[in-house]
Formats: sequence, structure tokens, C-alpha cells
Amino acid sequence: MKRWILAGLVGCMALALAYLPPRGAKSSGRSVFMAQPAWGTPARQRAQALADEWRVADASLRLLRARRHMQVLMRGASAGTSLVVVNESAEVMTAAAPVADSAIHVAWRQLGLGETKVRVAVIIELAASSQRRARPLLEAGVATYLAPDSAHRTTCVAVLPAGSYWTRVFRGARVSGQLPFEAVVQFLKSGLGPCAFYAAYGTPSNSVRAWLVSHRWDLALTLDPDPRSRQGNSPIEMADRENHSWFWEAVYALPPSAVACLASRPDGCRDAVFAGAGDDPTVPVPDIMRIDRRWGRVPRLLEGQRFLGDVARAVGRDRFVSFWTSPLPVDTALAAALKRPVGEWTAD
Amino acid sequence: MSRILGLVLAASLLATPLRGQDSLMARLRRQADSLLSTWREAQLLADVADSLELVRATAGSDTIAVGGLRIIVNPSPLPWREAAERAWSSIDSLYGSAGEDLPRYPYIFRAVDPDSGVRRAVLHVGVELPWDLDVRATTTVLLSTVVAPDFDAALGDWLGAALRPTPRPQEDRTAVFVQLVTVPSEAVRACFLGDISRCKDVLQVGDSTGLLERWYVTPAEREALVTEGFSDYFARGATAPSLQSCRRHRDDACTALLRSLPPRTLPRPLDHAARILLVRTALRAGGRDAYRRLVARPNAAIGERLASAAGMDIDSLVVRWRNDVIASRPRPLTLPWWASFAALGWTAFFGFCALRSSRWRL
Repeated sequence: MKRWILAGLVGCMALALAYLPPRGAKSSGRSVFMAQPAWGTPARQRAQALADEWRVADASLRLLRARRHMQVLMRGASAGTSLVVVNESAEVMTAAAPVADSAIHVAWRQLGLGETKVRVAVIIELAASSQRRARPLLEAGVATYLAPDSAHRTTCVAVLPAGSYWTRVFRGARVSGQLPFEAVVQFLKSGLGPCAFYAAYGTPSNSVRAWLVSHRWDLALTLDPDPRSRQGNSPIEMADRENHSWFWEAVYALPPSAVACLASRPDGCRDAVFAGAGDDPTVPVPDIMRIDRRWGRVPRLLEGQRFLGDVARAVGRDRFVSFWTSPLPVDTALAAALKRPVGEWTAD
Repeated sequence: MSRILGLVLAASLLATPLRGQDSLMARLRRQADSLLSTWREAQLLADVADSLELVRATAGSDTIAVGGLRIIVNPSPLPWREAAERAWSSIDSLYGSAGEDLPRYPYIFRAVDPDSGVRRAVLHVGVELPWDLDVRATTTVLLSTVVAPDFDAALGDWLGAALRPTPRPQEDRTAVFVQLVTVPSEAVRACFLGDISRCKDVLQVGDSTGLLERWYVTPAEREALVTEGFSDYFARGATAPSLQSCRRHRDDACTALLRSLPPRTLPRPLDHAARILLVRTALRAGGRDAYRRLVARPNAAIGERLASAAGMDIDSLVVRWRNDVIASRPRPLTLPWWASFAALGWTAFFGFCALRSSRWRL
């Protein structure tokens, strides 16, 4: 026994003599240098802030104008039509491209929507072919929605900026056997956003609506039964894959309550779901929602965009409608629909 | 009379929301118009501010001119001139006469203290560099940030990378050789063995119809591509059954899945290094005006552009590219005379240990 310990020590000594420099390792002398990115000048930043303000005002104006126009279109549409889709480019509305029209109707059916009380008008905003410097560029990935209100109780309008890629697809330039139709369906399905909830379940109660409005509908961005298909891969799944470790940055950027929820702590989940609830925010009139779907957005709950969609599937239509239209505080109503504490259900 | 009054009152009450919406739209329109005009003024001011900032940031800076390079830098110990001279020879050999256009794209650098504890001023113009770089690193910075003159999107899409000079041309050629002999693709192997039409296919410089079958010739390759490269992508939704069929060696399912990929997502058998090497070969063959000819017709097919740049037909160019790659076979590893004895010694040592160990003895 002792001989083997001695032999092991001698072996280690031999390895150390062979591989370790006798005078100790020298520093490589390389330091980590992080160059800062170039920032816009204060004047440029002010111009960009003004551009953002203009985009908000312009989107609101566009939605109100579109609602008026779409109501005319819907009146002219055949009976039983709950979904109307058009293209818009340079403020001119045209009939939707056939691929877009087919795809959004497929998406509508996949969401289980047929003839609905609240009708949905979708305007696909095509990118202008020549970028004019006369006005700020529209941001692809930021969709705007106009919810039904007292004057227009049965119309929800969605404006989806197509960006350059989808614009080329909808203009037909890149439609080919290589373009998966399912990808177009997925894009438009996720674009229906809050309007899909309005179509499926009607107008929510004031407490539910205020809760959703306070966080820009971030827990109800999609009603898709399988939103992870194609584009919506979970950051956790992505992070666990080989060569995708950089996805952990997205996980590390989550707020503490979301991280606690990720660790299956019911309190963290509850805090994440009801952050801001009960602060009694007023629902603006008109109720215009501006939803940013671009990469880099930090969610308050991982996979939060499908939270209410999952709740709806888990509890069934009747119980979800009772929650959706309940005058009770939102935490009470949701727990009643789930028949268990919200934090526990979410953690599971 | 009272009935008429009642009707008027009811009508006015019903019209109130619409009037409210009209006034809201008018208010929003005024707001949007006002913001737009303010934004335009702000843009003009920002343009002026940016140009003033450019002047301010470069005030007191040195301008180093070497060939077509114009480097505007603040005083620092960085060896700019020596690095620029080294970089220029590489840049000039790649872009040739088009390098004369480079003064249009001056470099602006700001050398800063590499100590992260030193507070730095906000950067509005140019690129920051630590002032302790040596000549080689500084040259690499210049080579890796040079702007290729008149580089068009079609060429960029085909290349999949920027066309810049390389500080290590031999290593780049060797890397392509390694790809040519190790990529598990029949088309690439055929190219390695001298089938030039296959080389044109994998480089995508000839007929690009039926790219899937040209790049992934055998059903086994297509199945491997789907099951190893895209299994996550196809595993959900409507494509999941097709993925299962593909896993059961149904080539029609694998092919259909690969055809359904979005445009330009089919992985190339050879990566961008092979294409960059082809362009470099063309530019070297075509003389000093080769680059100008390459970028002269952005709408032409890539094969035609390369042939025009090289001054030879595309087949000859691809042959030359292949010869260059084959000639860059990596040198075999040479071991010192004692290495084999050391290997035997270690093997014996561990074998002896294993035999003596009670834990592993059967």
C-alpha cells in the first residue's frame, strides 16, 4: 500500500518536473480590453426620441383611420366574415397578397376561431421600396393594436409591419417552393396578438384589462397552442443546446421574480404574474397597444407571452371566460379559474 | 314638437362618440404633423452636430497616409505608420487599382488607455483601440476593418463574408484543403478528385437550379443533414411526421423537408473560406484592374463576374483554385526522435500501474 502511494507521488513529481516551468509561469501580458460602442451625439439622440414619439402618434392615427376604413370593408364583406386582411404601403391600402390572405385564414382556423363577435381587421404594413428621409422609418417587429371600445364594440384592428423580409415575400419576389407556408402562417398567427383574445373571448372585464394594459399584454401575446414551434423556441431550451450558450445571457437578464419562478418557487411566479396588478391603471381611450416583439426584450416571466394562452387551454373555455369577464380582482379571478393558487400553477 | 326635440337630442347623443373620434383624430394628426416637422428640424441639427463632432473628434489628430489608406488617429504610442505600410501591401494586392478609392473611407481611431480603471470620454466618432497593441495586432486591426470599395450585396450574399485581405494566406488555403478532404459530402469529394463541374456546384458558380441535389448528392447525406442539423427545427408542428419518415430512411421525406427550408438556409458544403479563396484566386489572376471588373456588374451572375475579373473562363478559374488548394496540403506533423520512445514509456508505465492495481484486476 505504502509503496503505491510512494510510486504515485514520484509519478506526480516526474510530471511536475516535465511540465511545470521551474521559475513559475509568466503572465501572458494580454489584458481584456472592451471598446465602447459609438454613441449618437445628444442632438442625434434627441432626433431619435422625437422619431419615437412621432411613430407612436402616427401609429395611433393610422389605427383610427384604418378602423374607419375597415368597418366599411367589413360591412361589404360576406356574412359570417370575422377576419379581414389588407396590405398597406405608403398609406395606400390594397388587397392582401394571396399568400398572406390564405395564411392568415389558416392561422385563424388553427387558433380555433370561426365566426366571432369581435371581428378582427389586420393591416399588413409593407416596407416602402424606397426609404424616404422625409419621415422616420417604421420599425419592423413593433405591432400596434386598437382594442374595441364603447364606440366600436366589435372591431379589433392590428397593424403588422412586415419588414423587408416579409414584404418581399408578400410582394411575391421570394415566394417559391423553398418558402415554407407554415412560416407565413406562424408570422401572421403571432401577429394577431391581443386581437385573437378579443375574438376568442370577447372584451375582458375592467380589472383584467387594466392588468393586461399595465404590462402591454405581455402575458397574452399569443393564443397559439404550440407557440414554441418554429420561431418561439424557449431560451432555456436554446441555452442547453450546443453552441447556443450565449442564450444564457437572456436568462441572466430576467428580473429576480422570473428567475425565482424558473426555480419553481411559487412566490416568485406569483410576483412575476401579478407585477403591477392592483395599481389600478386607467385603460386609455382609445385603447391602443404597441407591442414590441423584437429580440432583446426582457420578459417579466419566461415564456410569458403564452401564459394566458396556456391558462385558457388548461382550464377550458367556460372557466377561462368566467375569469376573463370577472369583476373580481385579477388574482382572485385567476385563482378561481385555475382552482389553485396562481403561483403554484405557474411554477408547475 | 317635443318628439322632434327628443329625436334631435337622441341623434346628437349617438353622434357624440363619432365626433369625439373625429376630434381625437384631428388632435393626433396635428400632433403627428408637429412632431414630424420638429423631427425634421432635429435631424438637420443632428447632421450639423454630427459633422461638428467629427471635426471636434479629429481635431489635434494625426492623419497618416500610406497608399490609399487614410488613418486619422489621436497621438499615441501605437505603431500606425509601420502597421499601415504592412497593411497597404496586402490591401493593394487584393483590391489593385480599386485601392485608389479607399481615401473615400478614412479610418478614424481613438487610442485609449488599456487600463479599465481609467475613465474614458464618451465615444461619438470612430473606433476605440488600446494604445498597447504591437505592430502585428495593429496591422490586423487595419486589415480586418478595411472597407471593400463598391462591394455589392449580391457578392456579399454569395460570399457569406466580407472580402478583406488576409494576414495568413497560406493558413487560409490550408483550411480549405482540410475542408475538401474532410467534409462528408460526395460532391466535395468529387471536387477533390478533380471533377470540376462538382467544384462549380459546391462553390455555386454555375447552374444553381436543383441546388439541394447538387450539394447533397446521396440520400444518406440528405438524411444526415435533416437528422443532425435540423432535427430540432423539424421536430414540432406539421413537419414532425415527415421527420419521423426521414429517420426511417425515406428519402422523399428528407428531400421535402430540406426543400421547405427558408431561402438561403441550406447549409453550404464548403464554408465561406472556399469562396473567398476563389475570389482571391480570380483577383490574383486578373491583374490590377481585376477587382474593378468584379464589382462593375452587380447584376451579372457570380460565375460571369469572377470570369470577367480573372480574365479567363470560369472552368479554368475553378481548376486554378483547386490546384491552389491541393498544393496547400498541410505539412505532416514531424515528431522528434524520442517521441515514440516517450509514448511507449508512458504506455508501459500506465499499463504497469493498471496491472498492479487491485481495483482493476479481474
